[in-house]
Amino acid sequence: MKAFEYATALSTDSARQLVAGNGAYLAGGNDLLGLLKDYLIPGPGILVNVKSLPGLNRIARGGDSWTIGALVTVAEIEQDEQIGKVFPGLHEAAAEIASPQIRNVATVGGNLAQHSRCWYFRQRDVVCLKKGGDLCYAREGDNRYHSLFSGNDCISPVVSSLGTTLAALDAAVVVLRDGKEKRLSLGELYQKAWTEPAAHHSLNPGDLILRVEIPTARTRSAYLQVSDKHAFDWALVSCAAAANVVDGKLNQPRVALGSVSPVPHQVGAADDFLEGRMLDDDTVSQAADLILKDAKPLEHNAYKVPMAHALIRRTLLKLKG
Amino acid sequence: MPSWPTETKYISHATLRVDAAPKVKGQARYASDIQADGWLYGMILRSKWPAARILSVNLDRARQIPGIKAAVVVRDGEFNVRFYGEEIAAVAGTSKQACLDALQAIEVNAEPRLQFAVNEDLARKDGAPQVWEGRPNVTPGRSRERGNVDQAFQECDAVVEGFYTTPVQIHNPMETHGNTVWWTDEGITAWASTQGISSVRDGLAGALQLDQSKVRVITEFMGGGFGAKFGAGAEGVLAARLSREAKAPVRLMLTRFDQALAVGNRPSSFQKIKMGAKADGTLHAFEGENYGTAGIGAGGDAGGGGGGADIPMPYLYPIPNTRVKQSAVAVHAGSARAFRAPSHPPASFGMESAMDDLAVKLGLDPLAFRLKNDPNEIRRREYAIGAEKFGWKEKYQKPGSAPGPVKTGIGCAGAAWPAGGPTRSTQGEAQINPDGSVEFRLGVQDIGTGTKTVIAVVAAEMLGLKPEQITVKVGDTNFPPGPGSGGSTTCASISPTVYDICTNALQRLQAQTGVADARGENWFAACKKLGVTPLVVHGNWIEGLSTNPACGVQFAEVAVDTETGLVTVKQVVAVHDCGLIIDSLTLESQINGGVIMGMGYALYEERVMDDLSGVVLNPNFETYKLPGIADVPEIEVVLLNMPERGVIGIGEPATVPIAAAIGNAVANAIGVRVGSLPITPARVLAALGKIPPVAQT
Repeated sequence: MKAFEYATALSTDSARQLVAGNGAYLAGGNDLLGLLKDYLIPGPGILVNVKSLPGLNRIARGGDSWTIGALVTVAEIEQDEQIGKVFPGLHEAAAEIASPQIRNVATVGGNLAQHSRCWYFRQRDVVCLKKGGDLCYAREGDNRYHSLFSGNDCISPVVSSLGTTLAALDAAVVVLRDGKEKRLSLGELYQKAWTEPAAHHSLNPGDLILRVEIPTARTRSAYLQVSDKHAFDWALVSCAAAANVVDGKLNQPRVALGSVSPVPHQVGAADDFLEGRMLDDDTVSQAADLILKDAKPLEHNAYKVPMAHALIRRTLLKLKG
Repeated sequence: MPSWPTETKYISHATLRVDAAPKVKGQARYASDIQADGWLYGMILRSKWPAARILSVNLDRARQIPGIKAAVVVRDGEFNVRFYGEEIAAVAGTSKQACLDALQAIEVNAEPRLQFAVNEDLARKDGAPQVWEGRPNVTPGRSRERGNVDQAFQECDAVVEGFYTTPVQIHNPMETHGNTVWWTDEGITAWASTQGISSVRDGLAGALQLDQSKVRVITEFMGGGFGAKFGAGAEGVLAARLSREAKAPVRLMLTRFDQALAVGNRPSSFQKIKMGAKADGTLHAFEGENYGTAGIGAGGDAGGGGGGADIPMPYLYPIPNTRVKQSAVAVHAGSARAFRAPSHPPASFGMESAMDDLAVKLGLDPLAFRLKNDPNEIRRREYAIGAEKFGWKEKYQKPGSAPGPVKTGIGCAGAAWPAGGPTRSTQGEAQINPDGSVEFRLGVQDIGTGTKTVIAVVAAEMLGLKPEQITVKVGDTNFPPGPGSGGSTTCASISPTVYDICTNALQRLQAQTGVADARGENWFAACKKLGVTPLVVHGNWIEGLSTNPACGVQFAEVAVDTETGLVTVKQVVAVHDCGLIIDSLTLESQINGGVIMGMGYALYEERVMDDLSGVVLNPNFETYKLPGIADVPEIEVVLLNMPERGVIGIGEPATVPIAAAIGNAVANAIGVRVGSLPITPARVLAALGKIPPVAQT
């Protein structure tokens, strides 16, 4: 890797100042060190260790909403029994991430902000669209792991399982931007990746994720993924759903898919369709049709359409409890 | 004629690996743990082009990087590179970072070729870019025919045709390729991660034009090779040249990334099989056409030791009317090397898949169909034992008939391994000390299978001692020459050799000390009579204690989610023979490892080459997927002990049939064949006809 400076920030202000124009925040480091070792990103001139920032490793359990600090580890989410009861989908998503060793150090903020896993982007000798080249190799090449939906020529999908689940839970991501806190929906957090090939999220340089805020308005949530392997493998497709179920009928339902689009894939028309309907096979199948209606499968990833259809149905039916 | 003892205390029993404790405690010094005095890091610059003419390489800027002590180009003058990852130059320096910086500072003046072919289908086309100038990518191919195939198909009551493919698989041993090499005025010492210390010594001596006596290769412990670690390799020769220039030991271990590019793989196969049988289930006609790629090496080696693309067809079954045609395709990708049972896993997958497809067409139970056509007596016994353990009769149901979206299915397949016999030149020695301690020294290496334990078990049995009383030293070319650890030959080579050493030792002890039988309780008294001088005795491999071949059968039960395509292996029963069992514990480990490796071949592993850029897309364990603990089911190992046959090796047959058994179980579960490995969720959904057509862009 290239040489860099290293500093530990003790306040969010100093973290922001240290990272300045060309620095990078270092928390779990799982994603960042991989990028550095393979020379996949320019710079950074300085790594700013944010693990000592006060308050960011807390879980606050409120009545209307919970906040989970950006430095809370994935393992803590997986092991927190109350999260398992209040946000079961989040617990299920956390338990599927990587391996126990990685979950022990991976943070919520890092999981949300992680870079593309596209194997062309990650190949050190391929200069693809995402790296400033003029060609998305995946479009013509082996796109088995790529998006069914995209608003630009890059088809690298978002792979954050927490992001997908938080989208279904209607959570907000609180970011420190230019000294002020800014609340972003999950859709907003990734919006830029929908339109800009070089982006994998909407964060500006220097933006620091502080926490996520999850409303408790939905009492049921669920997460499912399918991978090639049974553990320690990226999702081919993931699905999260959240809602209340009153007398067998859905209330405030939200569904999100991961690994099929540069953003968590949410279709408002499907959520609207589900509102007030009985949670049965017919309903969930029609919702899946709506969610996948505009899919544009490529040569090697069309299998994701039936797979996603099955996952949507199963995840929604899981909300029955 | 010598014979193995019939009443045994250790042979055929379970002995814990003699080096288990140092391995578990991290005290075992693997090749990658060696830190010779003043050692430097070594690193290789690889081609970032799949094909290029290298005009010149300038090392000046690299040499100026602080900490860099040596830099070399692989060869003088202009040269071609023919695959992404081919070696161009190497550097040695005092830190990893210095080497990384130096690699970036090397200036390579190259003419990249814009046309290349990294996949078989493109390379086979007319006018495809040629890998070797003046030589077509596709070998002329070899055909053989027995009987009258065309007429025989007319006489069949059922005929199936299928296309079965297997991917390029990468060895990926736990420890990467590499070594520390120290070149001094006295010669070369290489601490190598190798499965052939002698072949590395000879390779280094040949490449560097040194007397073989000036090269010593040491391999105390190494972390697996699977056929890819016989030679000195570019990493050995370059480390030696760097060491000479730097006048210091150079430690050059490859990275996982390097491992995917340039140090071997199992060739792919594309098998078109047509096969017919009579109504009673007798196989009658076979036609097989196969091609595969061995990378830039396109050899037609029919298997055994090489990395050729040919496979044995029609594998286990003698079919009176047989036509086989095979060719190999050169592509711009790293060359194949021997890989655990070369050519057998793909042969097994193609043929055993066709067997099940034909059984279904005939309306026969696939196991009964095999028993009808497989003449091998041992395998037939193994099928009977395995079917009982596995519950074949109770579990078998018509293909695709299991209820619900998650369907279970079962399958089985057989293995053959023609080698497994001895390397007859194997030698060894023992030093017996007056205090009764004894050290065995053999110029073999322990590839991880338990070679040291085998030596200790046989020696303990023969001398009436305990295995822990035997000190075993291997992995040094200063010891009497031993075999390479390949072809499942090691156990059958060293066991008779140790037997001979022990027999000689007891005779010499009797002659020197007058103790008629120095074994067991007499051992220490006899040794004491040696006085002050240890006794050193030599031994050779001797006839009558080992043989070949081995075979085996494996059964698998799977659950297939027909909505997501995910395959879960629920149970495996593996029944194997290897003549006289030496140590049942290390033997079971071999079979467990073989099954797990074969599961990777069945379900997860595949080197993916990109047509457009020519690179390997998955040079890591993130996307080159290997089975993990969550993927591996209960594996029941059943061993046939056949002392009357003598010792036979087992490493290879254990990995042969599982992919075919899993493939057959998947077909039995879902009622359609997934003809290509690995059997991914995407392929299962495709076979089930669930994937929508894709609009052409």
